[in-house]
Amino acid sequence: MVASNADKLVAEYLKALDSELRGLPRSRRGELTQEISEHIAEARSGLEADDEAGVREILERLGPPAEIASAEDPAGPARAGWTEVVALILLPIGGIIVPIVGWVVGAVLLWVSDAWSTKDKLIGTLLFPGGLLIPLALLFLAEESGGCGSVVNPQLQPQQGALSCPPADGVGAWEILVMAALVIVPLMAIAYLAQRLMRPPAAPA
Amino acid sequence: MVAQQDALITQMRRGTLQYCVLALLADEERYGFDLVRGLAEMDGMVTSEGTIYPLLSRLRRDGLVESNWQESPSGPPRRYYRLTDSGRAALDAFRLEWRRFRDAVDNFVERKA
Repeated sequence: MVASNADKLVAEYLKALDSELRGLPRSRRGELTQEISEHIAEARSGLEADDEAGVREILERLGPPAEIASAEDPAGPARAGWTEVVALILLPIGGIIVPIVGWVVGAVLLWVSDAWSTKDKLIGTLLFPGGLLIPLALLFLAEESGGCGSVVNPQLQPQQGALSCPPADGVGAWEILVMAALVIVPLMAIAYLAQRLMRPPAAPA
Repeated sequence: MVAQQDALITQMRRGTLQYCVLALLADEERYGFDLVRGLAEMDGMVTSEGTIYPLLSRLRRDGLVESNWQESPSGPPRRYYRLTDSGRAALDAFRLEWRRFRDAVDNFVERKA
């Protein structure tokens, strides 16, 4: 089937609308685009399929996509509920409270929430998996092996082989940097996610 | 001054529009397109029909209307809207206030010499 000019007009309009709705949670964005698309289909049901002037009038009556987007409640569905709050707590420290599982629960809550975009969710998941569990574990192991021979906890002995002994004058500069990054990056990711909940930027609290 | 007046009219329209939606739903349920065209028929009420859909979503979220999908005799299923109890209460409360307000303003601006 060849798309008529009328079809092209509709497709362009819906594409423009979808891009205006970028800031909305994905489910709401899809819902609104679908409603507008059904509205157009309904209005067109009385027209010939290739009635270009008729379609132009329908779209004109709907109004500019930017105006529809700005009519969305700014404080809308992005408002933080308990899911978002718990996710933001569990992502950094859940893995410490209940190793691994706590973080996984946080990640699941992050992904089921409507308040973040897919990009936000990827950032929250990948920076860094486990949250603060990894730096804490490293710190713990480094401390334990820090004495290089003066082992306090004999149960940890098997793991010692995997860890190189720090230089004689203490911890090296880049180890501190890595450690700092492991702590700071996940905290920054959480701060970023929290800030994304405060949208829109037009209305800072 | 004219710009200020325009802004005021826009605000009055925006503020009252949701009650017009509730009023359209007072006696019967309607689907989105029907509702939008019903509002647009009245001159001066809606300039961009598309902006009604975000309003409907907000009314749904605020629990003033509820919606359900129904088969349509032609084409895809339609989302029908109906008033909830709190929507009806909000409409009744607005009716009272609106009458008082309208009468009060009329009393001054419509006064015959």
